[in-house]
This record gives sequence, C-alpha cells and structure tokens, in this order.
Amino acid sequence: MARRASTKPHAAWFLAVALLATAAIAGGYLLMSKINDPYRTLHSLDVLTYLENGNSLRGNTYRISGAIWDSLGWSPSAGRLFAIEVGTGRSGDLLPVLVPVSLNHVNLQKGQRFVFEVEVLEGGILRVKSLRKE
Amino acid sequence: MRRIVLCGLLLGGSVLWAQKPDEPMTGAASGTTVITTPRKPPSTEPSVPLGEELPVFDPGSEVVSWGGKHWNIMNQRVFQARFEKYLNAPEQTDAESMEYQKTIRTILELLSPRDANNQRLYQAYVLLFRAAAFDADGGVCNAVANAVATAWQAQLNQNQLALTVEELKKAMQAEQSKALMFAGAQEQASKQSTGKKSSSSPTPVVSQNEMRQGFYLKEAAAFQAQIAALTAKREVSALQARVQFQALMVQLFLQRRFQHAVMACHMYRQLFNEGDSAIKVEGQTKEFFTKDLGMPPTVSTLLSLASEAMRDVREGVNAYLFLSERHEMDSATKRLSEAFLVGEYMPEIRTLPREKKRLALTYSQKLNRLVSALSVKDYEQAEQLIKELEAMAKDFDSTKARAAVETAKTVSALHLAKARNAAIAGKTQTVEEELKQAAAIWPRNPALLELSTTLFGQSDLQQKAIADFDQLLSQGNLRQIFNDKLRFIAALATDPERQAKLKKVLEDAQLIEAAIARAQEFARRGDAAGAWEAVERAAQQFPDDVKLNQLRGNYSSEAASFVESLRTAQRLETQGQTGSSLAWYLKAQRHYPLSDFAREGIERLAKKILPSS
Repeated sequence: MARRASTKPHAAWFLAVALLATAAIAGGYLLMSKINDPYRTLHSLDVLTYLENGNSLRGNTYRISGAIWDSLGWSPSAGRLFAIEVGTGRSGDLLPVLVPVSLNHVNLQKGQRFVFEVEVLEGGILRVKSLRKE
Repeated sequence: MRRIVLCGLLLGGSVLWAQKPDEPMTGAASGTTVITTPRKPPSTEPSVPLGEELPVFDPGSEVVSWGGKHWNIMNQRVFQARFEKYLNAPEQTDAESMEYQKTIRTILELLSPRDANNQRLYQAYVLLFRAAAFDADGGVCNAVANAVATAWQAQLNQNQLALTVEELKKAMQAEQSKALMFAGAQEQASKQSTGKKSSSSPTPVVSQNEMRQGFYLKEAAAFQAQIAALTAKREVSALQARVQFQALMVQLFLQRRFQHAVMACHMYRQLFNEGDSAIKVEGQTKEFFTKDLGMPPTVSTLLSLASEAMRDVREGVNAYLFLSERHEMDSATKRLSEAFLVGEYMPEIRTLPREKKRLALTYSQKLNRLVSALSVKDYEQAEQLIKELEAMAKDFDSTKARAAVETAKTVSALHLAKARNAAIAGKTQTVEEELKQAAAIWPRNPALLELSTTLFGQSDLQQKAIADFDQLLSQGNLRQIFNDKLRFIAALATDPERQAKLKKVLEDAQLIEAAIARAQEFARRGDAAGAWEAVERAAQQFPDDVKLNQLRGNYSSEAASFVESLRTAQRLETQGQTGSSLAWYLKAQRHYPLSDFAREGIERLAKKILPSS
C-alpha cells in the first residue's frame, strides 16, 4: 500500500529562505553603502610607492583608510599631524597625515578608524582634505 | 846627601836617558809635574869644557832642574820603563860577563895606588883593550885606552918640543955669540979708525962688522921667537891633554860607569903626576862641587864620589834583598830603584837574579797601574789595586790613594743623586750638568753608566712615545692612544701642548668606552636596537674608532629591521622626502619605541611640517 506523501514543509527550506533573505538584505545594504561612499571614486594610496618616493605622488589625491596611531604635533596655523596605521597589526605601516585647521572640528583620537581623502603635497606630505569615520 | 848629589849627577847624563829636556812631560800620564821656567839669557861667561850642562837636584822635592825645566825623577816614565826592563832582564852571570868583571877587577888592582908604576899602568892599558871587547863594556874601556894613548902622545910631543926648544936655544946662543964677536970686532975697528983720523979716505956709514952683528942678532931673535912659540905650544898641549882626560873622567862618572871612572882617576894621577890636581870646570859643574859637596873639583873628589856610589849600590841591593824577604816591598822596590838609578852598570845590579827582581817588578807594575788608574780616574780599578798592593806589601801606604778614591766616589755619588732628582723633576739641563760633573770626577763609575743608560733609555722611550702619539693622533686612532694611555701620560708629562691633546683624547676615549659599556649593557638585556643606537651615536662623533665600528656592525645585523628603517628615513630626509622619511621614522619607532634617533627624526620632521608648533 502506498504511503501518502507528507504535506508538512521541510525545515531546510525555511532555513534556505532565511539565508537568502539575509543575504539580500546585506547585499542591499552594501550596495547602498557603496553607492553612498563619497571616496568611492578615489584610488587608494599605494603605500609602498609612497614609502619609496613620496614626491613622485605629488599633486595626487588618494584615499587612505586607517586608524589613528598617535598625534605627532599641532600647530594653530598648520593644523594637526597624526600618524595613522594602515593595514593591520605590526605588519601595517604608519603614515603621517596633516589634518589642516579647517578640519579642527573633527575629533581625532587614538585608535579611531577613518577614511581620509589626502592630497600629496611637496615633500610627500599627506594633507587630509576630508575624512569620515569608517 | 851624597846619594842625592849622585842622583843629580847621574840624571845629568843625557846620553843615558836619551831624554829631551825641552820635551813636555804629560803630568796626567806619568804623575809628574813639569814646570817650565824661562830659560836664562845666554851666558856671557867664556865657554868652558864642562859647565852649564849639569842638572841641579833639589832633595826637598825630589825635583831636578835642568835647562829651565823641572821634573820629578822618581816619576819619570823613561826611568820607570828602564827600571821595568831591568827587572825583566835575566841576571848577567854567564861566563862572558864573569870574565869581563874579572878583567875589570884586574885592571883596578893593577892601577891600585899601592904599587903604582909605569909597568903596571901599561899592563892595565893593555887589558883595557881586552875588556873593551866584551859587549857589557859598550866600548867604554876603549875610550879610556884612547885617552891614555892621547895623554902619552901629548907627553911625547911635549918631550919632543922640549928637545927642539933646547936645540933652538943652542942655536940662538950661537947666533948671539956671533953677534957679540962682531960687536967686539966693530969696537976694535972703531978705535983704530979714530987713530987714523987724518987720512983722507972716507969711512963707510955702516961697517961690515955692524952689518954682520945685526944679522946675527936678528937670527937670535928669530930663534927666541920660535922658542917662545914652542914653549907656549907645549904648555897648551899639556893643558889640553889634562882637560881632555878630566872631561873623560867626569863623563864616565856622569854615565855611572864608576869602575871606569875609578880607573881613569888612577891613570890620570899616574899620567899627569899631579896628585890632587884640580879639575878644570866652570859654571854649574863647579858650583856642584863647591856648593853642593863643599869640596873643590879635584880628581880625588871624583874618585871618592865614584867609590862611594859603588858602595851605595852594594848596600842598596843588600837592603832590597833583606826587605823583600820581609815583604816590605814598597821600601824594597824604592831601594832597588835607587840602587839601579845610581849603579845601573854595576855588577851587583847586573847579577841580581831575575826571580828576586820579579817581586819588585810585580809591585812596581801594580804601583804604576795604580798611578795610571788614579790619573785617569778609574777608581774601581784603583781600589782593586790598592787591595792587591796592601796584600803584597806590608809597608804600602794606601792612605792617600784611598782618600782620593773615597772622595771621588762620594762626590760622584752626590752628583748622580742630584742628576736623578733633576730627572724626576724633568729638569733636563740640570741632569746634563750633574752627569757631566759626575763623569768628570769618576768617568768609569758603574752607577753613572747605569743611570745614564736608564735616563737615555727613558729619553729614547719618551721620544718614541711622542712620535707614536703624534702619528696615532694624526690617524685619529684614539683607541690605540687610550690603550697605551699610561705610556703616553708618562712620556708627555713634560710637554704641556701634547699633554692637552692627550687629555682631550682620553676624554673622548672615555666617552667611547662609556658608549660601548652602555651598548654592551643593552645587548646583555637583549636590546640589540638600543645597543646599536648607543654605539651609533658614539660612532657619529668618533667615526674612526675600530671597536665602535666593529660593534656597530655586530648590532646592526642583530637589529637589522630597525636599523634599515632608520637608515632609510635618514636617507629620505636628506633627499627632501619629508613625508616618506617621517613614515620610516615612525616605522623605526614602532620597532623600537625607545629609539632616540627615531624620536629626534620625528620631532625634527614634525617641526618642519608644522613650523609654528
């Protein structure tokens, strides 16, 4: 005698649907965030090139993502100089960035991660044009 | 007194000593003081056979004055040499010498005044030729024999002249008789002519008789003149023969040929038969007889002096033998030297056995060496000789010699001590002066040699150290200077300029050493980067220090990542890559947070980026 097929939905299907929904939400979020990132058009700074010859990048604007490592100095006229850590751990590099007076309103504290829009000045000095928290 | 006079006489025999009176003597070498006095102006006295050539002896000072010179006879090098030669010579006791002495004795016996006659004189004369044949005689007997022959010849000539004078007298008398005869004839003729005055025939102005009388008178006068001339010649000849013989006697006496002098005196007496005839001498020779001896210069005086000299020599030799047996070598040697001085040719001197003379020779040589050692100021040698002489001769008086040695040693030691102190004080000039004075007093002082060697050795070391210091300093090799600091500190103690440089070097070296010590401490804790930084900072100041560079190399390999970061940062900084350089400094600081170089670099560049900070 034939057995009658079960009509109760399988639990695996529910799980798969839930995952898809989650992925769709995350993808949408990422897509939205990508679409909303103002530095998305900027190139990331090639750290190795910068470390070898910063002057060769003069006049360019780059995007740097890193954490505040230390404050190196402050000048009321020139702004603040920070060392930011790009990369992770001890293998990451430390780059000096000059945060001009115009960005004094932004609080920068050790350990905070930011995305910086930087311009390479004479002498390879990286001056922050804008920044936003990551 | 007599012996002293003899010494004076004997030294007058310049033939014997072959010494030039005008030749200066070296007082230092012989210990003789020679005082030269101005010569007397040329004498206006008539020349005499014997005179000014005689030396004068001062017994108070044992100094002989002769020809304006003065010297001590006992220290004469010539005498010493001759005396040593005699002491080394074997005794003359061979058959020939004995035969010679026997002949001489025979001659003297034949001439003895007891049995003096012409026959014995002739026998002695003959034996003179036999004696002259011996080497020991030296031909002196020949001279005596020749003098005798000359005297005989002179006497013969005188006899011949006497005969001639007699003949001339007879001829003169004959001529005078003839003159008288014609004088008588003339007188008679004159009387006859007076009676015949009336005759008209004229008489001649000079008669024949007068002419003949004048002729014979002239002849007689000529004979008389010849007689006078011959008589004078005879007298001169006699005087000449006597003077020649007297000269020979004095010469033999001066030559210390006393046996021959005695022979000559005896022969003179027989030949000239004058007894105590005076010797014709003048000047100092005459003064010598009259003043010093208080006797006139006669043959007897000469004979007496010669006999006395012979006796004195015999006594001197006996005294020597006696004293040498008692080990009183000082007196013994003096007695023998006196006896030798007087009677060098006497048989007693000549026959003294060599073995017995050797004692005096050894003593004399040591004494001469002592004199030489003292004169050249070799006091070490002198002291040794004094000890030997004291051991050898009981009567050796070492007081003066010892005093001289001790005084010289003390004064020399004093100067050396001063030189040593001056050397310590770095007073080079004083050192030189004191050493010079010490050397002048005792040139062969072993302590002087030792001190000089030390000082000059130190000087050499000092000079070398200074040269090394200059070279190392020019090379910047502070490490080597620091390693040899004790040597350089000692060497440059008297050189303020270099001393200042050394001080700076040592201070720098201390900085280096401190850096090294610090680095080693870091390294011990495993802080290679800290160790490297410590030596790197010192190396920037002292880039030529080998040890620093070596440690730099070692630590840089141990902290390679940190060092590379720092080097890159420094390189980029110099290239004007401020941003990149700062990034590397940050990287270095991340490696070694305590890094001064990284901190300084960061501060420096931060200030550059933030000028008004």
